[in-house]
Amino acid sequence: MYDIKALYEAESLDHAVRLLQEHPSAQILAGGSDVLVQVREGRRAGVELVSIYMLDELRGVSIDEEENIRIGSLTSFSHITNDPIIQKYINVLGEAVDMVGGPQIRAIGTIGGNTCNGVTSADSASTLMAWDAVMEVTGPEGVRRVPIKDWYIKAKVVDLRPAEIQTAILIPKESYEGCFGHYIKYSMRNALDIATTGCSVNVRLSEDKKTFDRVRIGYGVAAPVPVRAYTAEEFIQGKEITDENIKEFAETVLKDINPRDSWRAGRALRRHISVVMAERALRESISLAGGVVNG
Amino acid sequence: MISCTINGKKRSFDVSPTMRLREMLLLNGNYAVRDSDDAEGFCGSDTVLLDGTPVFANLVLAGEVEGCEIRTPDSLGDSLHLSIVQQALIDAGVVQSAYNAPAAALLMTWLFENNPNPSREDVKDILSGIFIRDASYEHYYLAAELIKEKLAGGEYRTEIAPEFRPHLKAIGKNMPKVDAPQLVSGEKAFVEDYVVPETNYMVVLRSPYAQAYVNKIDTSEAEKVPGVLKIITAFNCPDVTYMSAGQGNPEPSPHDRKLLNRKVRHVGDRVAAIVAETLEAAIRARDLIEVEYEPLDAVFTVEEAMAEGAPRVHNGYVQYNSGAPADLDEYNKKLSGDEREGKVVYQFPLHGDILHNVAAANHGGIGDVDAAFKESDAIVEATYQTSQIQHTPLETHICFARMENGRLIVHASTQVPYHVRRIIGWITGLPENKIRVIKTRVGGGYGSKQDILVEDLTAYAAFITGKPVLYHNTREEEFIANSTRHPMRVHVKMGGKKDGSINAIYMKVDANTGPYGNHALTVPMNSCSKTLPLFKCDNMKYDLTIYYTNIPPAGAYQGYGTPKGTYGLMMAMCELAEKLGVDYKEMVLKNHVEEGYMLNILKGLGEGREGNVVPVGSCGLREAVEKGCEMIEWGKRVESDDPDWKIGKGFAMIMQGSGLPGLDQSNAICKLETDGTVIVTSGAADIGTGLDTIIAKSTSDILCMPMERITVLSGDTDSGAFDTGSYASSGTFFSGNAAINALTNMKNKILAEAAYQLGEEEDDLELRWPGEVHSTKTGAVLTYYDISHTATSGTGHGQLITPGSYTTMASSVPYGAHFAQVAVNIKTGEVKVQKFSAVQDAGTPINPEAALCQMYGAALKSIGHTLYEDMKLDKDGRCVNANMTDYGVPMISEQPDDFKAVLIDVDDYHGPFGAKSISEIACNGAAPAIGNAIHDACGVWMRSWPMSPEKILKELGKIK
Repeated sequence: MYDIKALYEAESLDHAVRLLQEHPSAQILAGGSDVLVQVREGRRAGVELVSIYMLDELRGVSIDEEENIRIGSLTSFSHITNDPIIQKYINVLGEAVDMVGGPQIRAIGTIGGNTCNGVTSADSASTLMAWDAVMEVTGPEGVRRVPIKDWYIKAKVVDLRPAEIQTAILIPKESYEGCFGHYIKYSMRNALDIATTGCSVNVRLSEDKKTFDRVRIGYGVAAPVPVRAYTAEEFIQGKEITDENIKEFAETVLKDINPRDSWRAGRALRRHISVVMAERALRESISLAGGVVNG
Repeated sequence: MISCTINGKKRSFDVSPTMRLREMLLLNGNYAVRDSDDAEGFCGSDTVLLDGTPVFANLVLAGEVEGCEIRTPDSLGDSLHLSIVQQALIDAGVVQSAYNAPAAALLMTWLFENNPNPSREDVKDILSGIFIRDASYEHYYLAAELIKEKLAGGEYRTEIAPEFRPHLKAIGKNMPKVDAPQLVSGEKAFVEDYVVPETNYMVVLRSPYAQAYVNKIDTSEAEKVPGVLKIITAFNCPDVTYMSAGQGNPEPSPHDRKLLNRKVRHVGDRVAAIVAETLEAAIRARDLIEVEYEPLDAVFTVEEAMAEGAPRVHNGYVQYNSGAPADLDEYNKKLSGDEREGKVVYQFPLHGDILHNVAAANHGGIGDVDAAFKESDAIVEATYQTSQIQHTPLETHICFARMENGRLIVHASTQVPYHVRRIIGWITGLPENKIRVIKTRVGGGYGSKQDILVEDLTAYAAFITGKPVLYHNTREEEFIANSTRHPMRVHVKMGGKKDGSINAIYMKVDANTGPYGNHALTVPMNSCSKTLPLFKCDNMKYDLTIYYTNIPPAGAYQGYGTPKGTYGLMMAMCELAEKLGVDYKEMVLKNHVEEGYMLNILKGLGEGREGNVVPVGSCGLREAVEKGCEMIEWGKRVESDDPDWKIGKGFAMIMQGSGLPGLDQSNAICKLETDGTVIVTSGAADIGTGLDTIIAKSTSDILCMPMERITVLSGDTDSGAFDTGSYASSGTFFSGNAAINALTNMKNKILAEAAYQLGEEEDDLELRWPGEVHSTKTGAVLTYYDISHTATSGTGHGQLITPGSYTTMASSVPYGAHFAQVAVNIKTGEVKVQKFSAVQDAGTPINPEAALCQMYGAALKSIGHTLYEDMKLDKDGRCVNANMTDYGVPMISEQPDDFKAVLIDVDDYHGPFGAKSISEIACNGAAPAIGNAIHDACGVWMRSWPMSPEKILKELGKIK
């Protein structure tokens, strides 16, 4: 038996918000893959849970009236990987969440859970960071939107206020249109392992595909929270697609990342790998976008 | 009230919505939904289908399944009505220890229901969420092919495994393992399935310190918790010093611990055991125990342990049960003698010196190494470090004990039922006739269940409370308070001549046994005794020293010390070949032993006594090397399209033993039932490897009768006869030979009885399929039914019962070689094992499909040891990755794409039907094969486990 004080089943979004107001210390239970593991470890002993599992309106991927890609927060990893909208516009996100591994976790793990735990190694985090995702949050005051760069406050803490629920993740049209990306998870093993470092790059090339119109790069486990390497992005914007520029871009990421030593890997390895991954992910993104290096 | 549909039936449960779905399913009797990882969401043993989607039942709350449809593995078919998928898993040989087999069957069923023609990638994807330690995943791919063929309405077309010995009907043939139907269908099989509802629960309070005295334990508040029955501590437990190794008596391991000690010696060491009516009460009481510790300095590595003035792990006094040195009293005066330290008792001298943290030592050799090195044309010298590795059986250690009519009944998941009984006898003071140990099916042993790690305390708790008691390790306890592979520092110096011959080998092995000395001498000894006899070399020397430290305990682990010795020797040999400018393969062929070569090196390598010098017996080593080199295209360079990836090849020779000549002993009893069927009761402990099946097949071929009319019972100390147990690769050889002796006696007894009943001469009679005696003279026939029926009538000779016993000085050694092709990314340090071929001489493979699966399983496990697995301790000796996700076992995605196991056909002189051991040896080759391949790929020598990307990049000079 889990050490859970109570489980409240939300019947609607409003109900969920009310339940969270009535039980201010309650934790939101989505798929359960994360919260229940923490309960088991004794980290949330005696917790109250508000389950939003039944709120089907929070599931699914669509294009909304503003032409954002709208991913309901309860959408499972396997759903995202197989969704035609994701596959068409931001396939890299489907690939990233697929790397979690194991059909059982992919079936219950949700994109909302993956981004609300504030964990820097989360498989979706660096990609959403690199695509300037916007978090849609619903609470007692209504709906608000938080750009992902402001979402992560510190390790394991995100910008969720009391009684708020993350209801969707939006990818604005400006962010996905004409963009192609690649994610690399660097981990010791392939499935059910935690990323030593994760790197997600996407590019938008000029019409003649000779220059970088925009490059974005996000990292997981390169800092306490997922981060972007803006200096490198600025460096390469408008530059020609050459080996030299790619290499300099990759080296420049070191100005923005600050990985730590941990028992999993040393800082030196993470820094080295971050550069290698930046180059590899950029080259792959260029190729997906139809660009040619030194072309 | 929660209502849902389980396996097509509507059910309602009056349970809290916060109950885990798995617990609710247990209430419904779906016990095949198991828990391997304390709800970590890793191993997959709790997989169920929830509204048609696979989920972990431990990570779903009961409240969330209202109105849902749930399917569990036990719905697929029972042991008499197996589904196509279940049958295919059995036929492919993957149902071994099988704790996860029902969950795997459910996933495979789900896969085929959604896609009748899945690709290899689809199979890989569906099994990516399940951990298989025993058989690897290779024959799951095979099973998928078999299922496809069956579903297409046909018979199997794909070959499952090669078959051997055409003149025999059962031996060497692919046949279902006798326990497989029960296991794959998720019927009751394991200790947890036999627990009575009224059981009490035991939990253990564990030390937060790596080394400390326990000065006071206040249990007064804990005892007030309702339902608490008993709290056992060092202050009220029996004053019996023993050890946990399941080895022959007297053991070559120091007796250095009590049930609970006044000194704790590792983080996780036992401080108190709490028995209560519920698990919750036991845990609540545990939290209320106040312990006054006196922390002490600790040592974690052999370097720290051997340092001048190092803190002593054992500092009481030393006793010898035989062979005490003359100056023992003087020696003991140098130790603290503090009563909290306890004592260290040697059954016979193991050259220990606890004053310097030395638990045991051994030195020896042949020839003159120093003189020989002077003659060498080239010498290599290097140190190889192995890491601390856990067995990670799917079923964590568990014991259920109860009293019945004044006798202590112990349900154990063990490799050594008779050693368990003996040690429980020491602790409780009960004689062996008052203790019954019942080995159930075992959900993975790999050596960890050769130690008596939980049975001692659980049995004692049942004995003193008089009540049933269940104890079950958490996964974290399995890591920190159980048993692990000894970390070892293997220093090798090897000299060779220009012609490629090796003329001198020196090995210095410093092993870390942790806080207690179970297997302290013998594991490190194997790093020499199961490696040096591979070489025709006249000058060999070894120095072994085994140190006590404060790391989590080490013990027996499949391969014993051999993988570490093989790692050092084969890598040194590869380096020497390079230095001499000789091809490694040619050097191997020039130096390996062959049949008849006298193994003088063994003289000093007995288990604490004089070793048994014998010539090499049956030996398929050369054939294995040649075959494997052909498979991996030795000498042919492979280039990758991507310049960052460098490809290389490597291999290693391997050997093991088949039990311990002069030490092991097995017995069996054969009984002809009144209807002519046969029950063989063996002392053997089948831990999923097919030992019961070997005995059943032997019965079939010796008594000329079909498998359906044979039952093998084993592992119950009441009904069986003594057997040392399943360790040291002894099962097939010792337990198998004991059964053969019982069966041969039965054959003779049947002939004698038939001669009497027919009034004919025995010489004119023969046994004939399907279980009858035929007279070649008169043509008369008596079925076994006729014979037994007459014998058990009031006027007959009585039931035909025959014993069989086996003891030997003969040694049958399995040989082989393992081959790897790896790709190394020189920018990221990643290593991919692209190809792996395990080529082995197992004598006659009695269960060929099971043999292949065990080779695959051991090879994948040791690929894991080589590349990923590592228990990491912080500066205070706490393991920081004591869970499955962080620890790093290999799963299906880590398995080489091109993975092959090949059996070399060799007939052994002593083994049952010519069989030798098969599984343990397969742990020995991966590390040097991969290490040598990495060197071939990118030029670096990886001299420590795991060969992680970080270490490779450091060796390559890419990072500091």
